[in-house]
Order: sequence, then structure tokens, then C-alpha cells
Amino acid sequence: MISLSDPRISNPVLSSLKIKNEDKIIFIKENAFADSNFIITHLLKQFFYEKSRVCFLTLHNTLDHYQNVGKKLGYDLKQAINRNNVKIIDPLVKIIESIGSEVEDNFQTHMLKSLFLSIKEEIELFCSLKDQPIYLIIDDISHFLDLSIELSQIISFINYCVNLTSNANMFVVINAHVGSKPDHIIAKSVQHICDVFVEVSQLKTGKSTDVTGLMTVQRGDNMDSFHYRAFDRGVKTFHPGETIHNLYK
Amino acid sequence: MEKGKSESIPGTIISTQNGHLLVSSGIASLDVVLGGGFPVGTVTLIEEDFRGIYSKVILKYFLAEGLSTKHSVLIASQDVNPANIIKELPAVIESDPEPEVPSKGQDDSNQMKIAFRYQNISSTLKDPSVKHIGHHYDLSKSISLSDIENSDILYWNGQTIQSGVHSFINPAYSDLLKSIKDKIKEEKLFLKDNPEKKTILRIAIHSLGSPMWLPHRKSIHSMDSSSQDLNMFIFCLRALVRSAHAVAVITVPSYLYDEDSLERCIHSSDISMRLQSFTGTELEMNQSLQDYHGFFYLTKLAAINSLASRHPGSMEHVFKLRRKKFVIELLHLPPDIGEDNETKKDKVPSLGCGGNNKHLLEF
Repeated sequence: MISLSDPRISNPVLSSLKIKNEDKIIFIKENAFADSNFIITHLLKQFFYEKSRVCFLTLHNTLDHYQNVGKKLGYDLKQAINRNNVKIIDPLVKIIESIGSEVEDNFQTHMLKSLFLSIKEEIELFCSLKDQPIYLIIDDISHFLDLSIELSQIISFINYCVNLTSNANMFVVINAHVGSKPDHIIAKSVQHICDVFVEVSQLKTGKSTDVTGLMTVQRGDNMDSFHYRAFDRGVKTFHPGETIHNLYK
Repeated sequence: MEKGKSESIPGTIISTQNGHLLVSSGIASLDVVLGGGFPVGTVTLIEEDFRGIYSKVILKYFLAEGLSTKHSVLIASQDVNPANIIKELPAVIESDPEPEVPSKGQDDSNQMKIAFRYQNISSTLKDPSVKHIGHHYDLSKSISLSDIENSDILYWNGQTIQSGVHSFINPAYSDLLKSIKDKIKEEKLFLKDNPEKKTILRIAIHSLGSPMWLPHRKSIHSMDSSSQDLNMFIFCLRALVRSAHAVAVITVPSYLYDEDSLERCIHSSDISMRLQSFTGTELEMNQSLQDYHGFFYLTKLAAINSLASRHPGSMEHVFKLRRKKFVIELLHLPPDIGEDNETKKDKVPSLGCGGNNKHLLEF
């Protein structure tokens, strides 16, 4: 029985995504010039409602950004961190520290390894505490490419993360931006193994003030397309063609 | 970027929409397009026009605004001597050098009778919700030497690069990053530092990734891997700038790269724009575009601290460089009727018989 206060009913984005408990691996593909960040911020809202715990690897946006957007969507990320329901892993701090200092030969390999070990540690800690779902969110896996980490190593990193889902309470959300050729390889490999595939693209005809972009949700053979429009305080979704009716009602 | 603390920094304003700390780009019309100015802690990428003239003008405005508001400034270039860029900065003046005046006769004789509603729409960009914080500059005059001496400027020209093992193939990139980091540390501009007197570091990088940025020992062969360096540089710079009171503007000669290879750089930057000048293209001769110097495309305006980007949507912008001022305007094409008359006038009478047209020699 789903209550009316469930954001999956009341929130337009979450009701179009329809994420269920059996969706282990959620993959969000962000095509060039689109912004899929709203999906993660909305998913967080659902995760907090379900009292899940989150391990969050932030590579693209900062904690401040998520805190500000979270406030608008009705959850407090920093409070959740203080209550040990959310653990942020921010590799950017280490990257800033390493600027200017000399690096060892296998710096990149070490970085991925230590990142995974810290993720694993946090998740094992979460597992030992309560019997509640745990989500691992990776906001933007494709940034590893910018750090000139080899493709094969990134794929094996994904493989390790995905293997964590053998634990019944464990779920993975991966976001990837797709622009260049290596991005496509990463996206295709994650798409191959995911349970829910969400694709966010900009409109083919260019920018519009009425519609921000196109969101496609694919689950098995079932595919749904939505147009969405981002407002300051939320995102509206609607089926293509319903746009005018929805925006001005 | 907390609200209460940052009010004291000169030359900044807090956006009413999302609580961002903004600095002016120095160009009033560009500030309007960006929704007030550059947010502090962001990286802006400008894809240069073919000859890099207009992108340099934008960079100069950005630096000049930094000097007149007493911000710290870092200028980096391998193509030209950065000190020369600073010497050519436009001078601050009291008021708008070339204000938009409605042309004579528009009031009486030119009054529209049918499409009268369009009369109130001006082609210049104005947004009453955006308060202008920048100064006015005169491009025909350069900044005085005493102003330069009194300012805090760091020049980086890539001449003294220390060797060592870095994650970049090209040592210039890691050296520049290190200089930026040292400068931020020295001025105590990291967000966690919290010094008494706060200021902003403006980072301007001219022609990043141009052929001059190639490593010395491996020449053209490493072009592929050097473009990876470029992605990594912008990603690291963004991480650095986010953690400090700093704002960076980079110009990149994008025509030297493949179409897709800059896509990752755009993804790693927060704002990206492209300048396409008419010079050397067929658009140069176009009657309706003769008032302008090129197209201005805002390719990305990231939504930071909010869900919705403030991108103006499907608007088309054009830019022009006047004698004293650089402006960005909305593109308005004149009605098609005007051009029809032109083409008729130009028609050359030709000899011959037959054809439907009545010939000039016929009687």
C-alpha cells in the first residue's frame, strides 16, 4: 500500500521514473548539453523518504549545490550527514591537494583503488548498523576520463561497484555524461547491465523556453518518453504533445 | 558561497534568484545575458572567434573590471606576453561611452501603424531585475600605468617551468595550476581560510591549448594526448576554483580542435560561450547583418545551486565592436520587403528576345 505522501505519487519526476525496490542498478545517461542532475537530486528525495542510507561520490557538483537544491525539494542533506545517514566521498579535495606535488607512476590506479576501498568501508559500516537499503550514487563517472584514467580501469571500477549489489540491501545509481567517444564506451557498458536506464537529452531542435529537454525511461523492453521543464523550485514532466496543456493549467 | 559573510567583498553582488555571489564581466550586455555576471567559483570557457580578436576583448574587459574593483588578478598566456595584455586594458570612465540613442525621426514619421506593439521593444538587452555592478570602459583609451602598478597582478607566461613527474604530459599545465593554487594560498582565498579582508581572484587564461602549449620534446605527435591534458586541466581548475573565492575565464581556439573534442571541456566548465565572427565568411556581405561583427552563442549556462538554468532559451545574439565599446545584442532581422527592392534595382538589363520579362530595349 502506497500512501499519498509518498513522493513517488506526489512528485512528477519520481512518478515518471517509478523506481521500485527491485531496481538494483539505475543508470542515468546525460547526453551532450543536457543536464541530468535533477534526477539524482529527486532520487535523493525518495531515498530519504524510504529511510535509506546513501554513499555519495561527488565528482561533478559540490556538496553546497546538493544542499541548496535539496532545501528546495524539501530535504536537508547536511542534517542527514550529521545523522550518519549520508556519507559524502569527495575526491576533488585530494585532487586539489595533489596539485603542484610530484606524483608516483601509478597515481591514477592508486586513486581508483583507494576510492573503491573507502566506498567499500563505508558500505560495510552501513550494513552492520541497520537492515535498511543502501544506495551508492556516483555523480559523474565520466570525469575519471578527464583524470586520464584508462578506460579498462574505469570499467573494472564500475564492475567492482556493481558487484556490491550482491548484498540484498545494496543499490547503485550511476550518472555518466556522454560527449566524446570513450564516454560512449562507458555508457554502453553500464547500459548493458542496468535495470533502469534513464536518458536525458536536449531537444533536437535546440533550446526552448517551454521545454527544457527530453527524458527517456527504459526498463527492459518498456520505454517511456517525457518532456520536462525545470523551474527554480521543481521539475515538471509530461508526455510529448501535452506540453502547452500542462504548463498553463 | 554563504550569504551573510560575503557581503563585504567589493565588486560583488548577491543574486536575488539563487543567492549566488556574482562578479561583473565588465560588459553590461554580457552580464544581462548571464543573469547578472559570472558566479564566483565557476569556470567560463570562451571558444575564440577565428582570429581571436573579440574573445580577447571580452578577456580584457574581465581583467579591467578586476583592476577597477581592486580584485587580485592572474593573467596567463603562452601566445603573447601577458604584460602586454594588461597594458592594453581599456580605461575606466564615468558614464556609458556610446549610449543607445533612438535614431532621429523614429518618434514622429516612422511610427508604426499596424505592428505598433513592437515599437516598445528595443533591440538592446535590458533586464530590470539585474542590477548593473560593473563600470564603464572606453576601448579607445588604455589604462594608466599607475593603476597597473597599484594593482595585484600575477603574470604567467610559461617561461620558467620546473621539470618533474606530474600527472600532465605537458608540464606547462601543471605549472600553471600550481601557480594558481599558490596564489590562492598566498592571498588566503580558500573558502575555509576566512581572512579579515576578503577579495576575489580573477583568473584569465588566454588561448589555452593553442599550438604554443605543446610540450617541447614531443611535438605534433602528442596532439591527442595533449587534448586529454586540456580536459584534465579544466577539471582540476574547476575543482580548485570551487573551493576558493576565485573566478576563471578561459579562451580556447576551438577551431584547431575536432568538433567533439571540446565537448568534455564544456562539460567540465560552468559557462561556455562561442564567438563566430563574420569576417572571412559569406555572412560578411549579408545586408541585414552589416551592423554586427558576429554571432554570440551561449552554449552552456549550468544550473548551480538550483534546478533550472537561467539560459535565455532560443534567443539569437549578435555582437559588435564599436570604437569605444563592445556590445551584445539580440538579433533582429529587418522585414524581407527591403531586400526585394534592392535586388530589383540591381537587375542588369540583358539583350535578347523571348522570355516573359518585358525588355528595356523593347518598344
